[in-house]
Amino acid sequence: MSLGKILGKRALSILAAVGVCVLAQMVLTQSVDGFMLRLFFLGGLYVTLAVSLNLINGITGQFSIGHAGFYMVGAYAAGLSSNYFFPRQSLDMPAYLLVSVLIGSVAAAIAGLIVGLPSLRLKGDYLAVVTLGFGEIIRIITLNQEAWGGSYGYNLNHKHQSLALVFLLAIVCIAVCRNLLKSAHGLAFLAVREDEVAAQAMGINLTKTKVVAFVVGATFAGAAGALFAHDSGFINPDLFKMELSFLILTMVVLGGTGSITGSVLAAATLFLIPELLRIAKFEVSQGVLLGVLVAVGLMVYAIRLVERTFHGEKTQKSLLLLGAVVLPYVVMFGLGKLLETYTILGDKFYKANDLRWVILAIVLLVVMLIRPSGLFGHHEFSWDWLKSKMNRRAVEA
Amino acid sequence: MNSVLPLMAGIQLDWFSLPQQLVNGLVVGSIYALIALGYTMVYGVLRLINFAHGEVFMLGGYTALLTSYAMGYSPDALRKAFAEGRDVTSSPLNLVIMLLVAMAVCAIIGAIIEYFAYRPMRNQSRIAALITAIGVSLFLQYAGQLFLPSNPPPSVSQDVNPYQAVYTKVFSEAVIGEGGKVIRPAVEVTITQGRVIMLITVVVLMAVLTYLVMYTKTGRAMRAASHDFDSASLMGVNVNRVVTATFMLGSALAGAGAMMLTTFEGTTLQPFFGVLPGVKAFVAAVLGGIGNIPGAVLGGLVMGLAETLVTWLGYSQYKDAVAFVILILVLLVKPGGLLGSNKVEKV
Repeated sequence: MSLGKILGKRALSILAAVGVCVLAQMVLTQSVDGFMLRLFFLGGLYVTLAVSLNLINGITGQFSIGHAGFYMVGAYAAGLSSNYFFPRQSLDMPAYLLVSVLIGSVAAAIAGLIVGLPSLRLKGDYLAVVTLGFGEIIRIITLNQEAWGGSYGYNLNHKHQSLALVFLLAIVCIAVCRNLLKSAHGLAFLAVREDEVAAQAMGINLTKTKVVAFVVGATFAGAAGALFAHDSGFINPDLFKMELSFLILTMVVLGGTGSITGSVLAAATLFLIPELLRIAKFEVSQGVLLGVLVAVGLMVYAIRLVERTFHGEKTQKSLLLLGAVVLPYVVMFGLGKLLETYTILGDKFYKANDLRWVILAIVLLVVMLIRPSGLFGHHEFSWDWLKSKMNRRAVEA
Repeated sequence: MNSVLPLMAGIQLDWFSLPQQLVNGLVVGSIYALIALGYTMVYGVLRLINFAHGEVFMLGGYTALLTSYAMGYSPDALRKAFAEGRDVTSSPLNLVIMLLVAMAVCAIIGAIIEYFAYRPMRNQSRIAALITAIGVSLFLQYAGQLFLPSNPPPSVSQDVNPYQAVYTKVFSEAVIGEGGKVIRPAVEVTITQGRVIMLITVVVLMAVLTYLVMYTKTGRAMRAASHDFDSASLMGVNVNRVVTATFMLGSALAGAGAMMLTTFEGTTLQPFFGVLPGVKAFVAAVLGGIGNIPGAVLGGLVMGLAETLVTWLGYSQYKDAVAFVILILVLLVKPGGLLGSNKVEKV
């Protein structure tokens, strides 16, 4: 293929992506309500965040747990610059959005450079602590800037929810990571993850690779932050606490460290759990909740037991696993109901909204204990993989 | 006579309150050191950052509180006792019971967490184990929010706590000029009885820990496992028992710290009580060189002193950030922490 053809293909795919995003925005704004729109918006943001952290953490193997810091730098840089350059209230063209996304990502990239540089000296957990510390330091400094609203938060003049831009950002982020992995540079990233010394011996520039990973990852997080700031029109340092970093890291690991597909899926699922529980309308008593908690523990234990000890036929194993999943719930739910009826544990009820984070934590623990390498492991979704799977199934049948 | 540091023009330094601040820093730092020991011991053996350690600390605080309630210091019982005019002043025995129960319960909780959450992850990647630790930590925080009372009345309340008694050591009297104008304030150090008990307890606990680690069979096994986990297990060390013992020891220390902090300092309990001390103690452990026991103590003290000194300088709002600033500065110079060794990777 000649260069012209490749470029033509690139341009075509970029145009197609833009078209799809604009179309998606048009369709969605017509068909769903504000709450759902925000879910789509946040989904796009979290996918971007998870995939960009995956580049640092999963693909390059640099243990970073300060991603919320880059996100925050992007959000504040975008918010401050947007108010500075476009002080006038109602601007029709979202040109300011593009400008501030640019500024946000550049600011975050610089932050990524600053954090990436010490990573040359530090390894593993020490690097993790430094990134964590970076996030906290930035947050506390912002908290004490009177001009930036301090702990009261910062109001933006412009408020604009651009679904198309968020989708585009997510797609670009995924595409960059995916294409990177197919290039020689991407292989260098993977080599650094597997063994730094060996990678260096093979002539890979460790410094460059690590810093590039940090800068690219931070850039995307910063752009996401800029979009987030303009979506809500209000930013507050408390929105970017280390819990957020942990959440993004969890998405990456749960999806399978290094797997882009996994990051996307895990990001979508994990962010949806608390958001959907926010509107869910069920109540559980303390007794039933206790029962279910014990049931989850029993389930994990039973599944692990089956996995470890049973080496028989496949159908039998599936049946056993089904039993391991269902039985604890049946028993413990019944027990919980009894507790609810006959003891004081039936006095207090919890709304679904109160259970958001407990359920998130439990999902996290269950997935980690049953599938420690994450949902996808190191694998990626691809059509070839699907085809081979289908073929195998056809042959078996 | 306030002097001004040339580098920080405009900041008025109150040199006369410095001794007091140093003592405060020592107290805070000793608690950080106590928690940091748990982080560093677990890390030494398993190479795992036990993020749930802060939550064990929180549960220790609640255990101490509920123990004191059970011994007749619950708000209701106290109100009744006051109405009847009974003497309800708490005795040292109460404190000892609270301390021991908190330590025992925390040790058990630590062992349970290790058995159910960390043991299955032992042969998995370290990042997976770390995420599990974060999961346990989140679970304990938010389950605590559901099942535990938030901001409960303090365990041994002010009215019946004789440990608020104050000792004052005056180094130099205040000089007061004409008209009651203070020319030079007094230089004195004030410390509550509770804090004295606290410091002594911390020293005793550390001595016990040193004895356990250095002079017992389990301690020797622990050191062997932290030196080389696989070789230790080949040499006949029961590594599972060693790991359980490590978790129990570390958690017990956290429990003791939580009991003392809530009882003597009157810090109010809530399910997220363990997060900030946990993070700071973890930073302290890394600062001292994670996996290194004296390093954790040193790191904790440095952290506590740094915090109070920043407050003394008048930047109390940056108190929580200074921990990380120091950490980053130290790691840039010594990547293995203050007392840690920076191992060169060999092929």
